Formats: sequence, C-alpha cells, structure tokens
Amino acid sequence: MNTRLAFELPDVWVFGLPLALSLLLFVAWRQSRRGLVARRIALLIFLRFAAFIGLLFLLARPARFHQQALNVPSRPVLVLLDRSESMSLKESDTTRFARATEFLSRRLLPALKSANVAVHCMVFDQNVQEVTDSEIAATLPNGKRTDLGAAIAQAIGGSSQPPLAVIALTDGAANCDIENERALSVLLEAGTPFIGVGFGEDRGVQTLSLRKWSGPVSAAPRIGFSLTAELEVVNADQRTSCELLLFRDGRLLQSKTLQLEKGGATRTESFQVSEEAAGIHNYSVQLVPPNLPNLTCVNTKADTSVRISDSRDLRVLYVQGALTWEYKFINLALHKDPNVKITGLTRTSEQSVFRQNIEGTGELVNGFPTSLDQLTPFRVVVLSNLRPQDLSSPQQELLARFCSELGGGILMIGGASTFDRAWQNTRLEQLLPVLLAADSRPVRTNAFRPQLTAEALQCPIFRLTPSEDVARTWNRLPLFDQYARVGDAKLGAQVWMVRPDDDSGPGGILMASQRYGAGISAAVCLQNFWRWRLAKDTETEQFDRFWRQLFRWLGDSSRDEVSIEVADQELRPEQDVHLVVERRLSPQNSGDSPRNFIVQVRDGRNQLVQEETVELQTGHPVEFRFRAARPDLYSVTITDPAKVVVAARPVEVRDLNVELVQTARNMETLRQWASMSDGLAFKAEECPRADDLVAQIKAKVRQVQTAQQTRQVVGLQWPIFGLILGCLCAEWLLRKQWALV
Amino acid sequence: MGTGVKEPASAHRKDVIWRPITARALCSILFWLGMALCGASPLQEFSDKQATFFMGRVRYSSNDGNDCGGVGQDLMRLVSKASTLTIQEERKVGLADPDLYETPFLFMNGHNDFVLSDEEVENLRKYFSHGGFFFASGCCTNPNFPRAWRREFGRIFPNEPIQPIPYDHLIYRSFYKLDRIRSLNEPRDIQLEGLFHDGRLVAVMCEDGLCCSFSANNSCNEGRGVSPEDGQKLALNIAVYALTH
Repeated sequence: MNTRLAFELPDVWVFGLPLALSLLLFVAWRQSRRGLVARRIALLIFLRFAAFIGLLFLLARPARFHQQALNVPSRPVLVLLDRSESMSLKESDTTRFARATEFLSRRLLPALKSANVAVHCMVFDQNVQEVTDSEIAATLPNGKRTDLGAAIAQAIGGSSQPPLAVIALTDGAANCDIENERALSVLLEAGTPFIGVGFGEDRGVQTLSLRKWSGPVSAAPRIGFSLTAELEVVNADQRTSCELLLFRDGRLLQSKTLQLEKGGATRTESFQVSEEAAGIHNYSVQLVPPNLPNLTCVNTKADTSVRISDSRDLRVLYVQGALTWEYKFINLALHKDPNVKITGLTRTSEQSVFRQNIEGTGELVNGFPTSLDQLTPFRVVVLSNLRPQDLSSPQQELLARFCSELGGGILMIGGASTFDRAWQNTRLEQLLPVLLAADSRPVRTNAFRPQLTAEALQCPIFRLTPSEDVARTWNRLPLFDQYARVGDAKLGAQVWMVRPDDDSGPGGILMASQRYGAGISAAVCLQNFWRWRLAKDTETEQFDRFWRQLFRWLGDSSRDEVSIEVADQELRPEQDVHLVVERRLSPQNSGDSPRNFIVQVRDGRNQLVQEETVELQTGHPVEFRFRAARPDLYSVTITDPAKVVVAARPVEVRDLNVELVQTARNMETLRQWASMSDGLAFKAEECPRADDLVAQIKAKVRQVQTAQQTRQVVGLQWPIFGLILGCLCAEWLLRKQWALV
Repeated sequence: MGTGVKEPASAHRKDVIWRPITARALCSILFWLGMALCGASPLQEFSDKQATFFMGRVRYSSNDGNDCGGVGQDLMRLVSKASTLTIQEERKVGLADPDLYETPFLFMNGHNDFVLSDEEVENLRKYFSHGGFFFASGCCTNPNFPRAWRREFGRIFPNEPIQPIPYDHLIYRSFYKLDRIRSLNEPRDIQLEGLFHDGRLVAVMCEDGLCCSFSANNSCNEGRGVSPEDGQKLALNIAVYALTH
C-alpha cells in the first residue's frame, strides 16, 4: 500500500501564508507603537502565527491518498476468444478465428507470459468456457450467437480476484446485448479495463437472408390477403437473381424470381393469396439462393399460418356532419369486399340525420349511439366534418370506451372542418394520435405529394401491389394542396404520412395512429383524399386495397373475445415463449364473473405441447408461457368451457442464424466497451507488437488504478482544533493580563 | 340490410327562410356585397372547393354548356336547401379536359343531337371506372338529345347498354321516397334511364325535361314532363345518390 499526504487546495498556502505574515508584521508594528516590549510582542505573534498556520492547513483541505501497489503477478489477465459462427468466415484465405488463435498463441500469450502476467483463456459465444492452450486449437467457431456482455460478466464473476484486464479477441458483432449493463457494472466495480482486438473486415461478406415472413392472423374467404417476405442482401458484388417459393400446406403454390441489385438492401416481396373456404392453412416460404461461390445464404425457410374465417363481418360506422365525397369513394373502395360493411350516419340538417346501409329499421334511428350496446355491432367508427356540438360529452366518452375497452378502431378523417380547434381539450382529442392545433384554419399550400414515413414503408397496410416497391406506388398519388393543420404527434403514436417540407413551410402530419387501450385510433388529415381514386392515372384497385387494409387493421384488434399477444421478446428455440391473454370487455360480458378458459399449445405436428386452464376476467391480463423446445410453428388456441374456440394465433419459433446476417467487423462495439472502462480497442491489423501491447495494457491498468486511488480527509480532528483554539485563548489571556484589551 | 329514408322537412324550412333579417345578418350581407364589388373573394380563398358539393357543367360537341343557363346553380341550391352541404359555383368542363378527373359529379343537358369523339368516350370510360357520376337531362322534352345520349353513352361500355332504372332502385329512395312519378302529359310513369358499370349506376338520364322542372318551374316545358315538385325531389335524390354510391 502506497500512502501520501496532499492538499486538494494548495493555492491556499501560496496566497494565505504571505497574507498571514503581512498581517502579523502589521500587528507587531502596531504593538511596538503602543510601547509593548519586544519579548511580549514575539510571544503574541508566535501564538497568532500558530493559529493562522492551523487555519491555513485546514483551508488547504489536506487528504491522505492510498494507492494499491500494482500486483501484476498475482492478478491474472482474462483473454476471451470469440468462437461464434461469424468468426468462421473466411477472408483473405483464412478464417477470422484462425487469425485470432494465431494472434493469441504466437503473440499475445508469449508476451504476457514473458511479462510475468498470469493468463486465463476462455472461449465464448452465448456461453463462456475456460480452455487450456491445447483446447484452443481444437475449438471450432460454430456458436449460434455472440454475447460479449454475458461472457465478460461470467468471466469476471467466476474469478477469485478481479482480473488485471479483460482482452477480447472478436469480430465485435455482438448480437445479444441483454447482459451488457451488468457486464459494464462488473467491469467498473472491479476496476478492470477492457481491451478489444477486432478481427475481420469492416465490409463483411456477401450474404442473402430471409429476415421475416408474415401474414395476417386471420382472413375472410374469397378476399385476397398478402403474405410478405423480407429479404436482406449485404455486400452483393454483382447483380443476381434468386427464387422465392411459396408452399401452402406443403404444396408449391406460387414462385417468384427476384432480381437482386448490387450492394446492400432490404427488400420486401409479397404473395397474393385468397382462399375459398374456411380453415387453417400453413404457408411456408423457401428462399432458393443463386449459385454464387462467395455468397453466404442464411435463414432460407419460414412458416406462418392463417385462419380463414367468414364467421364475423367487419362493420364500419361512418359518421359525418355533412355528405362528403370522401364517404362516397371509401364506400366504393369497400364495395367489392363482402366482409366489410359500411353504415353511413350523416347530418343533413339541424334536425335530421341520413342513415345508409342500416341493418334494421330501428338501428341508429336517433342518430349517434348513446349507449355501448348500440356501438357494439361496429368495429370501426369514422368521424368526419363533425363539430363538438354534434357529439355530446357522454357520446365522446362512449367512443373512448369503444376504443379502449372494446378494442374498436377510431378514424378521424378530413380537412380543417374535421380537425377543428374547437375539439381541443375534449375527450375526443385525448383519443387521437395527434394534438389539435390552436390555429385550425384550412392550410392551402403549394401542391405536394404525401410522403410515407419509414415506418409506413415497412407496414403491410401501405403495401398496395404485391411486387412493386411501396414508396414507388405512393409516389404516383396525385398532387394535393390542402390539409388540416394539427399539432405534434402524441408520445407513442406512429406517424405514417407527412407533407414534405417545401418553400411554403415545414411539412405537417397527414396520417398517424396510436394504440388507445385495447383499440387503435388514427387520423387522416389530408383534405380530399378521394381525388386519388378519381385521378386519371390511378389504378383504382390500389386505392380500394388501401382502405380495405386500413379498416381491417383498425378493426382487427377487436375480433376475438379473448386476445392473445406475444410479449416483447426474441423468440428462440429452447426458451420460454411469453404470451399475454386477456378477455376483452364487451357489453355482453361486462358484468360477468371470472370464467375458466383452456389454453392449448400444439406444435407443427399437432402434438400437444401444453394445456392449461386459466381464469380470465375482463380487464385483467394473464401471463401464459410455454417452452418452445425446437424451431417450429406452434399454434395457441383458447377455448371456452363449451369447447368453442374463442381465440387462436400461430407463434413461429425460428432457429434464426443471426450470426451471418451482419458479418462486418464491428469496431464501434469494442470502442464503446473500451471507452466505458478506460480500456483500449485495436483492429487486429493495426495492433502493436505483442510486447508493446503488453506494455500498453500495463499502462492502462496503472492509469485505471491511479484514478481509483482512495482518499481520506485529514485535519478535521481534535488536536488541530485544540491547537488553534489553545493558541487563540493563550494569546487573548496574555493580552488581558498585559492590559491590552 | 335497409336504407334509411328521410322525410321531407319542408314545414320547418319555410319558417327559417322567412325569418326577418337581423342587424347582424344585414352587416354580413353588406360586407360580402362590398367585397364582391371590390373584386375580392375571401370565400374563394378560405373555403374548400372540393369538400362540398360542386358540379361540372359539361361542354360537349357544339354545346357550350349554357342550355337553360341557371340550371346548374339551381341544382346546387336545391342540394344546399335540403342538407348541411355548402355549395360552390358550377364549373364548365369538357369531356377531354384534365379537370374531368377532379370533378366527381357532371351535369349535362341540351336539346339537340350530339356526337362524342373517341377520346371523349375513352375519357368517360375511365371516369366512370374511377367513380365519377353523370347526370343528364333532355331540355324541354326534346327527343333529339335523349336519343343521342343513349347512342353515345352506349358506346362507353360495349357490353353495358343503356337501360331503364326500375322504381325499386335506391336512387328513388336515396333522400325522398318516390314510389312513382307520373308524366304531366302522358298516361305513364317518368322513367329514368341509366348506364351501369360493374353493377353500379354511373350515369342517369331523364328524357322528360327534368332540368326544366327543377330549375325553371317547368315554364319552358309547361304541361309536359315532370312537375316542378317531383322534379326537385328527383334531382335531389340523384345528387344524394351520387354522393353516397
């Protein structure tokens, strides 16, 4: 242990001491003028000087610093060697792993040993394992995931004493980051610097992978739906093509040949499918890669299942303050979909409403519903050109309950007359995904073309053709020049469409949505959206498809009595799958007591994986989990006590190879680890000579430990106070005795 | 499924029309009159031409769209009286104009024979496919216009001939419930004719001087065709049908 005394404010001495001396000389001069003898003056000055010295000592904040000696031989260095699959990639005739083991065995280990530093070698992927020198040579780089954070935490946690440093030999492509926070705190607590040495090329290798495969949970018979594959190409050095095969229940249904451009891109490709009869079908997609020698192809197969059911129709209630062209064209868009029915409720004068497509003569006879019962038949409510006086507060509250409790969809559409500022601070405004602007006058601007946001481009609602790029489709919309002015999007809302910035000012939100309780609310602030359908160059099917998809999405959340949601997690084999099941509130069950439901999970071969009885009460979600032992398409079904299926959804657990999707060396990860722990990060090819590296590691360790030296404040003790107080008291007593006070 | 039917509300509307002008209303009138005399048009600036009811008055062949001059405005006034819709001025539009695709409701009337060019027919085919609606009326029960209309509009969709619209069609119940409309000069019912596309009524024509009855109080067609009261109801039904289907 090395201990030293130092002052935290040494300047106090520099300025305080001359000041004190000057003051004492002045006092001595004054006392001599008063005729005091020299011996007495000297005694008084000494006592005052001693008190001043004591005060200055305290003001300079003395502290004792303790520093641990660098005990190099007794504390080891941990070396973590990445053995994940990305390290098996071959670059310049040798694999990353081979280069890393060569670096370790020929340069690093000899240098550390010659510096008399103990070394513990470990290999890691999603786990960490201690290895000997001979075992390193026998290790294969085939780990399915890289978890550098977990490896650091486990390695340090397993050591009897904190290591001198952690050296990681890796490509830095750490796929898991769950343990990073814990690992960082362990590093900082141990005062251990992280030294990262990056292997591989920054560009990575050519890869082609099937990233996602998705379809609707359910669809109506004879109505087309999309199954969408998301492909990712990385570093393609030439144009090429691949084939995408769609299988329905194991039989080839469709195939597509895709042209892949040079470079890197994410591409979505959709298959249009429709089914004649109700049932459940399994749709799998197979990626057939091109035969290129340098191309690594990963994740080539995926499955999903779709329930075809015509048991429930989607009814839309379109409420408007006056007849609008928007209603007509949306009505046209839904005309060909027999499973979507639109009911119009239009105010035509102060005293009268106009009802269209009602189901019975008594339906909505008194205008907008005044009870939840009357809203229950509808899954989506559209509001247009309404003023607050058209919807009373209880009716607005009803809409909020319809959305949040029944899982209904609310869509507000139109221009300034819809998004009127009079709606500010109303219950309806709380539902909306946007705040209403204080100034709601119509905005007439330069002609613009609505622009989809990045989120919308990835969302299936906006995919209107099976093969064309989404952005390109939407770039063919006609120009618009009016929209409703609204405020900011609310926290958690998704903005789908904006007006691009131009000379007439910053762009505004044109379309947004948000979850509101169990339902969804959306706003379309573009005036005269119907012009899209009537425009000369429009393909009307695209307009129609958009509205069908939007309404199905808005109304989909309320289709089942019980909802099954997959919790936010990464679905992997040999892990638990967390589901949240909830019984939705409806007027039929609002007063019900809790009921038992049976949750069944079956695997792809229809073998029962788990069956459990859960008690569900409206508004009380229950967590349910099952073990996904292997990659498979699991189906989760909930039945009521009468064995009637009330909800079902597929859950696909894929054995995704995430290691080879992004193969570029990620030095940024290593630099972040290094900077957080005062360590170092090198590219392997820029790494200094091994003995220099060891010297740098030692310097870093010393630097870290210097920064970590302990400090103990001294001076605030009774002897110092006693000395000061004693000097001052003695000086005062002497002056008293000598009749100077 | 059914369709709601609104009863005419003429009684209370009458009270509203003859209410004495208040000072506020007088100021408002003077303001707008002043603005009009100064050539300014704030209404044009702030109102939305397309959100409310407006129509295109079709110029075709040698017809410049001025037959029975005020008929377009009268139709829109009729619509505004019966609903909360605000109306705009009619716009003249040719069947080959790009503006055709900005105008979801077209009105055409006339006395004489006419011929549509191939381009106009092609435009109308696309217009109807995209959701546009067409209302035509022969003026003063002159048979030349209806004959030409049937011939020319029959060219638009070769497999879709012009056909009578039976009285059980929604267009007779879209606003007022019209069980039957009798001709004033013949022992028969007034018969609308229409063009259908994909099962949807896209164009309507009345040969019995419907425009004269709802616009000019049938003064140019006195004793013939449709009575003014029935004509107003039928015209309004057609407009509401166009706005909802």
